[in-house]
Amino acid sequence: MKAQSLIAILWPSFIVGGIAEGLFFTVFDPMDLMVFGEPLGWSRTAMYSVGFFVFWAVCAASSAFTCFMQRSSAQINRPAGGAPSGRA
Amino acid sequence: MSGPAARPRLAAATEPVEQALYEIRRKIYPRAVGGKFALWRWFFVWATQIVFYGLPWLVWNDRQAVLFDLVNRKFYIFGLVFWPQDIVYLTVLLIISAYSLFLFTAVAGRLWCGFACPQTVWTETFMWIERVIEGERLKRIKLDQSPVGARKVGLKAAKHGAWIALSLWTGFTFVGYFTPITTLAGKVAGFGLGPWETFWILFYGFATYGNAGWMREQVCKYMCPYARFQSVMFDPDTMIVTYDGGRGEPRGARSKSADRKAKGLGDCVDCGICVQVCPTGIDIRDGLQYECIGCAACIDGCNQVMDKMNYPRGLIRYATENGLKQHYSTRQMVKRVFRPRVLVYTAVLWAIILVSGLTLLNRVPVKVDVIRDRIATARADDPVVENVYRLQVMNTSETARRFEISASGLQGLSLEGEPQPIAIGPASARTIPVRLSAERADARPGANTVVFTVKATSLDGQEIVVTEKATFIVQ
Repeated sequence: MKAQSLIAILWPSFIVGGIAEGLFFTVFDPMDLMVFGEPLGWSRTAMYSVGFFVFWAVCAASSAFTCFMQRSSAQINRPAGGAPSGRA
Repeated sequence: MSGPAARPRLAAATEPVEQALYEIRRKIYPRAVGGKFALWRWFFVWATQIVFYGLPWLVWNDRQAVLFDLVNRKFYIFGLVFWPQDIVYLTVLLIISAYSLFLFTAVAGRLWCGFACPQTVWTETFMWIERVIEGERLKRIKLDQSPVGARKVGLKAAKHGAWIALSLWTGFTFVGYFTPITTLAGKVAGFGLGPWETFWILFYGFATYGNAGWMREQVCKYMCPYARFQSVMFDPDTMIVTYDGGRGEPRGARSKSADRKAKGLGDCVDCGICVQVCPTGIDIRDGLQYECIGCAACIDGCNQVMDKMNYPRGLIRYATENGLKQHYSTRQMVKRVFRPRVLVYTAVLWAIILVSGLTLLNRVPVKVDVIRDRIATARADDPVVENVYRLQVMNTSETARRFEISASGLQGLSLEGEPQPIAIGPASARTIPVRLSAERADARPGANTVVFTVKATSLDGQEIVVTEKATFIVQ
């Protein structure tokens, strides 16, 4: 994958993931959250940190899907007998 | 070289698309420049960095003056304590920041980008380190082209070492805004950092090192959303960094003593200094471009050349599109700053600041939430009906208070609970269970409205009364 598309996936999802994290944990105290009916028993710091990466990952999945759907026909139509020219 | 437009149409199917969308990055070696705007930038570098690195060490009311205490879910900003319930103030702060950005952009373009943005400020600091260790622009280019040797490895190691040290200090300071910095410093000294503290220090440090050391102008060009939409806030009367083409063209090299009029040349000597000093590597003489961060380094650079040539300064200068077209004087341009758009932005901004400031001043430092316990309701044949509640009482300010709780709304309503008054410490909350009971005859079947009155008395005798409605169910 090209570095540019990696940035296009990871960077906007970082921003949106951060906003989602802020909003979510402003409203919900991590200590009140139940996972499958059980309290998780982690510290707030751990919950905030892991929560951020979960939000980031979810948003990155969405960005990656967008990038995947935006590929041009030239990138999808491989010439017969090998990879498209100019790419590894 | 042929641009994308000159390429045969068929090539589009075989060429990688990225080549059409993004150019391959050429490393930019910005030349150092001195002058009025460089001084201003250094002023802002110092001002913002003293605040950023210094603020967490400041003490207020025997605690860290600015602390976003995520673990205890409280934000301390000098005399104020914010709780998650105060999120509206954060929203207001964001609106104020956005409006200020609109206002500044409408008046004088990307002032934020050129002088105060952390990306600019840290890049400037990192480039200063680079300059001190590796030397001026030409020396750096030569060093990068030279084969690997002891000197090159030594210089590169010194530079990256200094960058990493500064990045780690930055990461440490960043985490110090969220966890008390003196405790954090003690943990660092005793190698007792927790796993998450270590992780976030390294994470933020790595981001600083990557963005200011390696990414630099690419952050502005490819990652910054503001760079993409700032042009909608521009109008023909916005002051922007402009090349005066009418005065400069036709450009061309000449000796200092040459008569430019006789040679048919404009004032631009085509020395390329304006391009060399540009941190984003553009040529301002091509007109306004979204890559221009408004840092005015080209103005400083060009003015130095104009001085050497004994030409008047300001071939590149802050000017408006209208000003250049209509040949306005500076006074005429400045007069147009006070146009309806700017006045409306200013008025709205001040209105928001005043209203939010007033609400902040009049904020009641006591909050009460009533939660009715669903389980404990009376049996149908009891002459007395009981309802159980949990009162979450928050003392949001930094003075201890004594609380007295009473209830009204039904005849003969009685309240039982823990002995009153109840003491709650500064910036603390407590959940207080209370039981209300009333004669069945005095209440309607179904939901009745009752009112809890919470009287808070501070040690110096100041009284605050907060009321909160609740439902009293009769089954």
